[in-house]
Amino acid sequence: MSESRIFLSSEANTHRSGGLPRVMWMILLAFAVMLPMVVNAADAIPPKGTYDGKDVLQPIEFPHDTHAKVNQINCMYCHTYARRSKVAGIPPTSKCMGCHTVIATDKPRIKKLTEYWEKGEPPKWKKVHDVPDFVHFTHEKHLRRFVFNADLPVENVSEVCGFCHGDVKNMTVANKRKPLNMGFCVRCHEANGGPSDCWKCHK
Amino acid sequence: MSLSNLLNDWTRYRQGIEEGGFHDYEHIFGMAIDLNKCIGCNACSIACYAENNLAVVGEEKFAKDQGMHWLRIERYWDEPDLGADDQEFQEHGASFLPMMCQQCNAATCEPVCPVAATYHTPDGLNAQVYNRCIGSRYCSNNCPYRLRYFNFYSYYETSWPAPLDQQLNPDLSVRDKGVMEKCTFCIQRIRVAKDTAQREERELVDGEFTTACAQTCPTSAIQFGDLQDPNSKVSQLWKQYQVKLGTTEQSKQNKELRGYRVFESLNTEPCVMYLDRVREV
Repeated sequence: MSESRIFLSSEANTHRSGGLPRVMWMILLAFAVMLPMVVNAADAIPPKGTYDGKDVLQPIEFPHDTHAKVNQINCMYCHTYARRSKVAGIPPTSKCMGCHTVIATDKPRIKKLTEYWEKGEPPKWKKVHDVPDFVHFTHEKHLRRFVFNADLPVENVSEVCGFCHGDVKNMTVANKRKPLNMGFCVRCHEANGGPSDCWKCHK
Repeated sequence: MSLSNLLNDWTRYRQGIEEGGFHDYEHIFGMAIDLNKCIGCNACSIACYAENNLAVVGEEKFAKDQGMHWLRIERYWDEPDLGADDQEFQEHGASFLPMMCQQCNAATCEPVCPVAATYHTPDGLNAQVYNRCIGSRYCSNNCPYRLRYFNFYSYYETSWPAPLDQQLNPDLSVRDKGVMEKCTFCIQRIRVAKDTAQREERELVDGEFTTACAQTCPTSAIQFGDLQDPNSKVSQLWKQYQVKLGTTEQSKQNKELRGYRVFESLNTEPCVMYLDRVREV
C-alpha cells in the first residue's frame, strides 16, 4: 500500500528511489515498442546471383572446410579486421603458427607453412574476391548492419559472410561464387535499404 | 501526386538555401580562403597531387594546358593602367588566388552530363563518378571556373615509375584515359570521418576532418568545414564576413568587410568564399 503511494507521489521528485520504477517502465516500454522494428538477420534478404569462379592456385592449399566446418572456428578469428575495418584481412603467418606449432605439425601443408615461417617470409596469397579500384567496400559497415545491430549471434557470422563469399565452409581454397558486380550490390542495397548515393560506394 | 504538391516542390526548387530550398542537405561542405594570408607557396597544390593521385603530365603537356592540377594558384598582377595607385601592392607584385572546384550548389556542370556521372550528393558536394564518365567533356566546357580536368592520355603508365606507384593513395582510384576529374574536397577523408562518427554514434565534429590543402597550408589561409554546423570555423568565418549562400550578390552592412565568392553573379552558388578586398577597376 505504502509502496504504491510512493509510486504515485513520486512524480514531482523523480530523483528519489520511488521514481525510478516509472522511468524504468518507460524505458522497457520503449524497448518493447522498438523490438519488432530492430532488423535481425532473419529479415535480411541475401543478394541473389551466382558466379562460377576459376580455381585459384594458392601457395598453400588452405582448407577452409577443416577450419570453419570441422573445427568450427569463427571467420573473424582469422579475418580479424572485418569487424572494424574496410578489409577483412589475411591473417599473418604468426597467427597460423599460434596453433600450428602444436597442431597437425606432421601434415605436408603445415610443413610448407613452417618452412615459410622459418624463412620469415609470408606466403604470397592471391586475392580471390577482388572488386575494382573504383569501388569502396567496407566490411565493418556490412557486419554492423547484418550482425551486430541485427541481433545475430556472432557465432553465426558465416551466414552473413556467405552473402558475398558463398559457402566457404565447404570449400578448401576459397573460390569466387558470387558475381560481386554492381547489379549484385545494388539489388541487395535496394532489398535491404542500403544507401543508393553513387559516392557511397564509388571513389 | 497532386498539382499543389508539384507546385509546392517547384516553388521550393526555385528558392535559395536560406529560404529552405529544395535540397535537404545533410551537410554543406565549404571553404573560406583568406587571400591576405596566402603567400602563393603552392604547398596546397602539391599536397593535392600527393593526396589525390594526380598525374604529373610533364612540361610539354602542361604548356598545352593539360595539367591535372585540381588546385591551381592563379596569379594576378596589378597593372598600372588599372587604377593602381596603391604603391604597396605594386611592390609586392603578384597577388594569389588558390582555385579549386567551387562545389557549386547550382552547378553548371551537372545538368549537361549526358550520363549523370556528375551529380550533387546529400553532402552538398559536386560528385564525379569516374567509372560512369564517358568523357564527353560537356561539364568542363560548361564550368565557368575551368576547374575540370580531362585525362587525354593514360598517365598512370608514365606518371608513377616503379617505386613511385607505392605512394598512390588506395582510397581513391587512379583515373584512366577519357575520364574527367576534379577536386572532390577530399571525399575520402570526409568518408573516413563520417564512418568513424557513425560507428561511435555521434555527429561529425568540426576539425576531425580536413582537406589536404587546408592541412598543408603553412599560413592556415584555407579553412574547411561544414557550413550547416553553426559552430564550425568556416561558418563562423562566413558569418563574420557576412557572406551568404543563396544569393547572387552579397549585401553587407559594412562595405569595408572583405569576402566574396567567385562569379556568384552567375548564380552558380559556389561554396568557397574568398577573403579579399574587391577592388573596382
